[in-house]
Amino acid sequence: MDEKRYLTFALTKGRLAAKTLSLLEQAGITCEEMRDKESRKLVFVNEEQRLKFFLAKGPDVPTYVEYGAADIGVTGKDELLEEGRRVYEVLDLGFGKCRMCVCGPARAGELLQHHEMIRVATKYPVIAKDYFYNKKHQTVDIIKLNGSVELGPIVGLSDVIVDIVETGSTLRENGLEVLEEICPLSARMIVNRVSMQMETERIKALILKLRGLLAEEPQQEPVPRALPYT
Amino acid sequence: MGKSLLHTPEGVRDIYGEEYARKLFIEQKLHETIKRYGYRDIQTPTFEFFDVYSREIGTTPSSQLYKFFDKEGNTLSLRPDFTPSCARCAAKYFMDETGPIRLTYSGNTFLNTSSLQGKRGEVTQMGAELMMEPSVRADAEMICLVIDALKDCGLTDFQITVGEVEYFKGLCAQAGLEGEVELSLRDFISAKNYFGAQELLERQKVRKDYAKVLLRLADMVLGASDLSEARLVQNERSLQAVERLEQLYRVLQQYGAEKYVSFDLGLLSKYNYYTGVIFKGYTYGVGDAIVTGGRYDSLLSYFGKRGPAIGFMVVVDDLMEALSRQNLAPRIREDGLLALYEEEAFPDALRYAQEQRAKGICVELSPVKDRAEAERFAAVRKGNSVILFPAEGTPQSIGTE
Repeated sequence: MDEKRYLTFALTKGRLAAKTLSLLEQAGITCEEMRDKESRKLVFVNEEQRLKFFLAKGPDVPTYVEYGAADIGVTGKDELLEEGRRVYEVLDLGFGKCRMCVCGPARAGELLQHHEMIRVATKYPVIAKDYFYNKKHQTVDIIKLNGSVELGPIVGLSDVIVDIVETGSTLRENGLEVLEEICPLSARMIVNRVSMQMETERIKALILKLRGLLAEEPQQEPVPRALPYT
Repeated sequence: MGKSLLHTPEGVRDIYGEEYARKLFIEQKLHETIKRYGYRDIQTPTFEFFDVYSREIGTTPSSQLYKFFDKEGNTLSLRPDFTPSCARCAAKYFMDETGPIRLTYSGNTFLNTSSLQGKRGEVTQMGAELMMEPSVRADAEMICLVIDALKDCGLTDFQITVGEVEYFKGLCAQAGLEGEVELSLRDFISAKNYFGAQELLERQKVRKDYAKVLLRLADMVLGASDLSEARLVQNERSLQAVERLEQLYRVLQQYGAEKYVSFDLGLLSKYNYYTGVIFKGYTYGVGDAIVTGGRYDSLLSYFGKRGPAIGFMVVVDDLMEALSRQNLAPRIREDGLLALYEEEAFPDALRYAQEQRAKGICVELSPVKDRAEAERFAAVRKGNSVILFPAEGTPQSIGTE
């Protein structure tokens, strides 16, 4: 019999990767090489279990998985919505919880009540467009920013922003608040469509095991609710 | 201008040299296999009236069609696939035909897709349609034809996943789900999003036992012989779907093709279009299915003919990519002759070339200044055998190792 094919995981750099690895460890999947913080390797291998791991930027994870460069990926729901890649979304991992929201100064709330044209600054133009066009039926001018989106309404670039809200403290410190919630977010496990069909047994076993683990200890992490600005 | 004219618009590209030779070879292989099953070639126009690809008939969202107008103001569209055109032809030319109609087609198709997603705007599709044959043996013929065609192209490690959309429709009808809810459930299930489906079913207060069966769909990738789990439902429509797959499996066994096939009742794409068996072909090296197909018994009726139909389509470009990623791409030998001549020797060289061409050998005839230039030429064309006709003396072969 020939060697088993490697299963490749694309993980999102940072906190999400650490949490994913500890969850995978509970499911019996380990990668010693990744613990070495000094390592400059880009791809980490577990020869025994025939697994490979690499780290990528969140928005790139669905891309790697869609093209089959990785069989399995873990990234935020926000990136999946924004990228719109054709992948199987198989698990809600329950961590990395936050919400996609429309935020702005309290007085901007009024602008969302009518169908008037407003300006929206965001890192997530696809999500913002879908929300305003298809859910609210409001014509908006979307301005794509690459970071510190909160600045938008403060310096007068936009009326509101669409952004991820975790605790809401950055918003409050800057005199902004959550005006509307678009959707809840959390880390998701995604699988390439071909891998799911070609490596069904291995991947299905992994999903069922993780689903079992997630059901055992549900919601270690409470959903952070942003406090209304007072 | 100059250089700025050199590159092609996004989504399209030139295919030339050895790559194109390989592509032609693959197309020829596929075509031979399809012909062996008795399918007749058909060529349909590159563009048709937009209505032929409209929402009810086609599978491509209108926003992704290339549209333009003719002089009378009719909206036209470049074809995104061949199936509606084949159905139109069947209705037009075979209106009174009641026996099976077998058609095969090949050509480029066009999609106006979003930018920077790495999607191609023009791909070559080859496929076949079997119309007016409702039996499970027609389903099996299609699937086995796909398997044979892929094998003939040199692919070894691939899989055909088969589903039946009626199974899901039966479950939805039983659970009282319809319209938007049914569609969002379909989206969750075909994305294998168990959690999303679970949440939706809870929100809709679907009876626990129905919900359980529906959720199992998001999980269900069954081994070929094991459909027993799928039988645990209590509605006639779904049971008939399972029954159909079991019959299909028996015919596939008669073909000896069962090892390439597995069942996935959560395979639900293009769901309003397909009416029964649906299948996709997967292999390593490309991110999505390289073959799609299924039964669409209501399609012909849009063109005024009643009758069942089943078809499949291979994206030749994706198949090529899979083959080259798996190091299975066919080696194309450039076995022609390169006949070089110094100007005075042209009559000799020409006579020689024509003799060889008459025998069916490819001869490329080109002038050179001297032997040194001929040698440089030969060095570039490693695959060819090179013969030089010098101004004086006898022809000599060059650079053969």
